[in-house]
Amino acid sequence: MISFVIDGQPVEGKEGGNILEAALDAGFDIPNLCYNESVKPYGACRLCLVEIIRKGKRMMTTACNYPVTEGIEVFTQTEKVLQARRMMVELILAMCPGDKLIQDMAKGMGVHEVRFKKEEKDCILCGLCARVCDEVVGAHAIQFSDRGDKREMGAPFGEEAMDCIACGACVVVCPVDVIRMEEKEDERTIIRWKRTLKKKKCKICGNYFAPWFQLEKFREYTKLPKDFFDTCYTCRK
Amino acid sequence: MSEMTENLDVFTVRTLTQKEYFAPGHRACQGCAEALALRLVLKALGRNVIIVAATGCMEIVSSPFPFTSWRVPWIHVAFENTAAVASGIEAALKALMRKGRLPYKKITTVAFAGDGGTADIGLQALSGALERGHDFVYICTDNEAYMNTGIQRSSTTPFGASTTTSPAGKVQMGQITWKKNMPAIAAAHNIPYVATACPSYPIDLVRKVKKAADIVGPAYVHILSVCPTGWRSFPENSIKLGRLAVESGIFPLYEIERGQYRLSINFPRLKPVKEYFRLQGRFRHLTDSMIEEIEKRVHQEYERLKEKAKQK
Repeated sequence: MISFVIDGQPVEGKEGGNILEAALDAGFDIPNLCYNESVKPYGACRLCLVEIIRKGKRMMTTACNYPVTEGIEVFTQTEKVLQARRMMVELILAMCPGDKLIQDMAKGMGVHEVRFKKEEKDCILCGLCARVCDEVVGAHAIQFSDRGDKREMGAPFGEEAMDCIACGACVVVCPVDVIRMEEKEDERTIIRWKRTLKKKKCKICGNYFAPWFQLEKFREYTKLPKDFFDTCYTCRK
Repeated sequence: MSEMTENLDVFTVRTLTQKEYFAPGHRACQGCAEALALRLVLKALGRNVIIVAATGCMEIVSSPFPFTSWRVPWIHVAFENTAAVASGIEAALKALMRKGRLPYKKITTVAFAGDGGTADIGLQALSGALERGHDFVYICTDNEAYMNTGIQRSSTTPFGASTTTSPAGKVQMGQITWKKNMPAIAAAHNIPYVATACPSYPIDLVRKVKKAADIVGPAYVHILSVCPTGWRSFPENSIKLGRLAVESGIFPLYEIERGQYRLSINFPRLKPVKEYFRLQGRFRHLTDSMIEEIEKRVHQEYERLKEKAKQK
């Protein structure tokens, strides 16, 4: 365990961990949007900014991708940090003025009006969906495209995401809930990635239980017998 | 995520937090789905909670002196005052924050009780707390009898189940009354959120608990927890039994948000209840005609629920 100080309170973090994780564990309140334990930290939303004193040097950094280091001092509530966070949340709010979560977050930080030109986006470009798709699912179906203010998250060329297995991991992790899924009896659609997959019918009970394409991928990957996914999870002996 | 319907537990479970707030090493039986439910609930709630736990299996297994499995603030209370203590804690937090003794922060008060502590003994305290509108979450982990003290019947024991105080034999065929509909009782208080969940559908459960914690006002979550000891089933069948209970319509998963019913998973074809009964020793004595009668009632109630949800 590595010991360091957050806001004057001694804290311990595990080796290879990051400051945000240790701080949240110790009960400090640091806002964040793009952080999820299951994937590598990315530092996209910039809301977890903190001030750090290391070897006498003072600097501002994101807590999610700064490793816990012996003897550093972290400040989470200084005026400089709060001001920077207010600016970040204002910029995000200008990008997606319609998101309820961002609105609440901004209000909580004291941002009541946006001074910048408002855009009509709904995605905050945190990249969490793509990272989960890469690191957890391994489907690599979606990724960022273009640069600067044209940056977008989506399937290649904005078409149907051909590698998507419709597992719904991105639906669950999205911090602003803009990835929607629609479930009919025999098909499942991830609306944002324009992906519709037919579902497989269980041979015994006759219910549709999972997308055909997804099950084929699993079977390929695990080298299971051909008829393994003929029955649903409950009917399987 | 609010529109999500089907169970999504392939990769999505891996995106849940890896932190364990309900520590391993507790003394629950093998295959206890109630301990699993508790673990998932705590994962969903995170760190800023105060747990009020009634007497019951989960209190016994998690806190044998001098050990504890709880990594969050926890208080053990009697059967009958779980909801009362939870409402007291909620009121105290509110007062402390108003007086500036605590910083304004979202701290969720959660009451845990088994089916006996909810539907039988703790009902009046629960009813009072729901009516007063305290901002807390009440979670009932329903294993359909007093399993902790040796499988005595409770009011949520289903019709026909054999327990030690409703034994199957020459005189009667197990429990002679139907299961008390606790979610409907909670919903009758006009509270903002009522839901049923099952740990066999982990993402659905986590989502419902999160929603319940976010909503201002009382929320009630009823969780079916398979009990291999009391249900006389094999421990390895716990998850399967949970799924079968849902798929056969015996324990439909639904939520009631401000009076609006919504089925979480809607099966066009329900599985025969016989499949669910077959795996459990407590239903072993049932004759085919009795199973048919139960199935009729299950389907009737499922149809009624569908009608309320206006789903086909």
